Amino acid sequence: MLIQTTRLKKDVETSEGILHILQPTDLQITAGETVAIVGASGSGKSTLLSLLAGLDLASAGNVSIDNVNLGDLDEEQRAKVRADKIGFIFQSFLLIPSLTALENVMLPAELAGNKDAEKQARELLTKVGLGDRLTHYPNQLSGGEQQRVAIARAFVGTPKILFADEPTGNLDAATGHKVEDLLFQMNEESGTTLVMVTHDSELAERCQRVLRMEAGQLTEVERDVA
Amino acid sequence: MWHKISWRLLKHELRRGELTIMAAAIVLSVTAVLSLALFTDRLQAGLTERSAEFLAADRVLSSRREVSEDWISRAQDEGLQTAQRVVFNSMAFAGEQLALVDVKAVSDGYPLRGELRVADQPYAQDRLATGLPAAGEAWVAAALFQELQLEVGDTIEIGDSDFNVTRVLTYEPDVGFSVFTDSPNVLINYAELDATGLIQPGSRVRFNVLYAGDAAALDAYEEWLRPQLNDDTHNWRSVEDGDSPLARSLRRAERFMLLASLLGVVLAATAVAVAAQRYCQRNYDVVAIFKTMGAQRRQIQKIFILHLLLLTTFSIGIGVVLGWLIQSQVVDLVAKYFDVNLPAGSGRGYLLAIGTGLVSAVMFTLYPLLRLVGIPPLRVLNRQLTGTDRLRWLHWVASGGTIYLLLWLYSQQWLLSTALFVGGALAAVLLLLVGRLFIRASRQAGMQAGSAWRLAMAGLQRRAQANSVQMLSFSTAIMLLLLVLALRHELLADWQRQLPDDAPNYFLVNVAQGDVEQLQQRFVERNVEADDMYPIVPGRMTAVNGVPVVDEVSKEERESDAEVQSEQREGFGRELSLTWRDTLPPNNEVVAGEWWGDNAEPQVSIESEVAERMRVGVGDELEFNIGGEVFTVPITSVREVNWGSLQPNFFMIFNTSTLEDFPATYISSFNLPEERKKELYELFKPFPQVSLIDLDAIMDQLRDVIEQVSVAILFVLILVIVAGILVLLAQVQASLEEREKELVILRTLGAPAKLLSRAVTYEFVILGAISGLIATLAMELSLYILQTQVFELGATFHWRFWLVGPLAGAVIVGLMGRLACARLIRRNTAQLIRRLA
Repeated sequence: MLIQTTRLKKDVETSEGILHILQPTDLQITAGETVAIVGASGSGKSTLLSLLAGLDLASAGNVSIDNVNLGDLDEEQRAKVRADKIGFIFQSFLLIPSLTALENVMLPAELAGNKDAEKQARELLTKVGLGDRLTHYPNQLSGGEQQRVAIARAFVGTPKILFADEPTGNLDAATGHKVEDLLFQMNEESGTTLVMVTHDSELAERCQRVLRMEAGQLTEVERDVA
Repeated sequence: MWHKISWRLLKHELRRGELTIMAAAIVLSVTAVLSLALFTDRLQAGLTERSAEFLAADRVLSSRREVSEDWISRAQDEGLQTAQRVVFNSMAFAGEQLALVDVKAVSDGYPLRGELRVADQPYAQDRLATGLPAAGEAWVAAALFQELQLEVGDTIEIGDSDFNVTRVLTYEPDVGFSVFTDSPNVLINYAELDATGLIQPGSRVRFNVLYAGDAAALDAYEEWLRPQLNDDTHNWRSVEDGDSPLARSLRRAERFMLLASLLGVVLAATAVAVAAQRYCQRNYDVVAIFKTMGAQRRQIQKIFILHLLLLTTFSIGIGVVLGWLIQSQVVDLVAKYFDVNLPAGSGRGYLLAIGTGLVSAVMFTLYPLLRLVGIPPLRVLNRQLTGTDRLRWLHWVASGGTIYLLLWLYSQQWLLSTALFVGGALAAVLLLLVGRLFIRASRQAGMQAGSAWRLAMAGLQRRAQANSVQMLSFSTAIMLLLLVLALRHELLADWQRQLPDDAPNYFLVNVAQGDVEQLQQRFVERNVEADDMYPIVPGRMTAVNGVPVVDEVSKEERESDAEVQSEQREGFGRELSLTWRDTLPPNNEVVAGEWWGDNAEPQVSIESEVAERMRVGVGDELEFNIGGEVFTVPITSVREVNWGSLQPNFFMIFNTSTLEDFPATYISSFNLPEERKKELYELFKPFPQVSLIDLDAIMDQLRDVIEQVSVAILFVLILVIVAGILVLLAQVQASLEEREKELVILRTLGAPAKLLSRAVTYEFVILGAISGLIATLAMELSLYILQTQVFELGATFHWRFWLVGPLAGAVIVGLMGRLACARLIRRNTAQLIRRLA
């Protein structure tokens, strides 16, 4: 099992008492699976994603990735797990504005000490169709192009898991579809496990599994596998 | 690998102008400190050298006994130049005539600073003297030629020796400003001193050793010598001591420069602090992304520390070059304009400047950087997260400590640094409180106003916490600017008062009683502005409350026990110029007792410093001897005299009835412009016995020094203004970034650009006006303390600044806000949203 949670729970203290953002959740995702988490805004999808990726700590329960319990790790060790095994794509792209497209893609590889960072980044950018925009800064790229840079960046360290948070949420429909196609194509080629948060049901349908989050409660959506 | 990332970030961010404010702040702090330090160092050295002329040396040891040869040879061993000067009063005889003179015996090398000028005939064109009077020769002041009816080539007798008068002494650098109280000078060679037989144990003689040389060597020698000096016997003087107008001007200028430079340093440091905060906040997202990508905390630390160090080094480099260029330009200008040589600056300036840049960059970024590194990766999903604020105290400690350290580094004075720091800290707390109060009050007022105003007020209120901190830096910058501006004004005005254009440039002595009216009439006819005529009656003060003072020492007394003498009060050792008057002279202030007015009882008014030295005050009885007639008068007032005023000043002034029956000569001073100098001969032709003393040389020197210092002060002012503007700019930029999100939302909701731009402008106008008002209040308080405690000036109220402060604050801050906002509003909404995404 690549990702496994047991009784994973997140509470937040507010001025009006404790808010249960995530009810105790058990979830297993095997290697190579593509999983969509759908639900309304504020239902707790992003919280679950942040816990799975080790960006945040759970109030109770465990998350393990590749049989390593993230709860046993400190911040630095969790960062190491992310560096080694995890790639990210965000709704707001989150590129570093003062670095070029190429440098943005190189970044995770460089942080991991990869000497081939530049070569890999060039190849990936060419693959996402931005071979001629290597030296452009994010603000010189369109939204779709920025997200393609983000996809290239996500794949540069050949991660085992790719977390995507509303990857097409900031894009128009046509661009969004192109980015989706690219994402799924690259995912398939690299055999990466994809965990994606979205409220676009069409996008969710392209995943093998769909989970629905409602008021912090996660349920598996049964589908006709025709 | 991390260093590559660091370098890359720096390179791009610099090119894209994202680091401009931070870099500019560091560049400015280095430039300001370097140019100030180098320039003031050099100017100081130049001025000290110049003003050393008034001492004829850099330092002078004055002693009542002969100075030990060991002390002199020690100074020579340390590479210092020395010369000896012995000064005493004696009678000079020429045929049947006799006069009391000041004899000055000087050794080779005198004067060590400045020059001696002589002429071949009285009032003839003078020239630079070469060497000193030879054996058996004397050079004599022009006044004595008249008194003794001398001709060049005549012989005068002083003590047991005869001297052939070979030159007229026209200018001695160390003659001082007290032209009235001194008898005419006779200059002889030090080697001739013993032969006169006038130097005996117990004689009232001043033995002076003059020193000149390298400042460090002088300081080292002074340190060695000080413990061996006896306050009763010795007096150590440098040009900064004393009460000459020049010394006071220099002291004030020096204090002003130091203070203004310190304020400049604080401003520059504030700019770095504001910029550093922004620098780190801008990078919150970058760090969150790094962490999400799996960067280790240590990697991030290394990346940003290197980033900051590279930026700092880069900025310091530019700052050093700029600072050097600026100061060398200003020095060139000053040198060309005033025809002076400013000595080369020291290495201390460079160290100080680089240190300031480094220390402020590191210390002010310490906490923001700590916070930056602690940004949680979760920020990628939740933009509100900004990490923990627990260590905020560290920020205040580090920032406060840094400012204190910089103050000390620059001034090397614990007391001044501490006073400024504590004062500043108190002012900061006050500013914060008052600022918050004002914002609350303005909110009330704003509720009734139009919509852009309402929006501005709502904004102010919502950001009250942040605004009061911003206001702190606005107020600080405005206050320091106003302070430097006001101080400069005060200083220049005071100098102007001291040396008005129509200040007397001639002193007139020896006017016969019968000539007074005629002379005054002549002045009026020829349109010459002259001061009052002061009668002069030479006399001695002989006793205080019936106890004789040690004065002209008789032969018997010389042989008596020296210890008995020391318990007695010491007199003046010479005749005093006594005067009478009904009204208090200008530039005199009664500090004890009362001026007599119409009271005809015999009485005297005494100058305050003399009173202190003689340990007498109102009610004490002084005995005087005038031409053999002895009488006693009570002191009824003590006067503080402005010796800098270049007008006739007196130790003792009597009421008219006490002195008017004694034969007197009169003195006065008048102003005659350079171009009318040729009228002098005509003017005084009917009064052959009248002597003129030309003060132009001394005044020119004083004016020169003051002008140089004024230029220097202007330069310092400009630097402080640039520093102040940078702080304002950094702060406006920073606060606008905080408003950006709100602006974007309002813009997206369809708020017209005009409304937004106005709202932002109003908000900054209000912030600026309140800051300006608080700044003025703080400035007025600081100025009061500075004027009365540091600059020896009277306190004044600066009502103009109460208008200028808030107005300038509103205009400058408002304008900057509007410009910064305009740039934001020019972008289209989609661009804006993307910026925020």
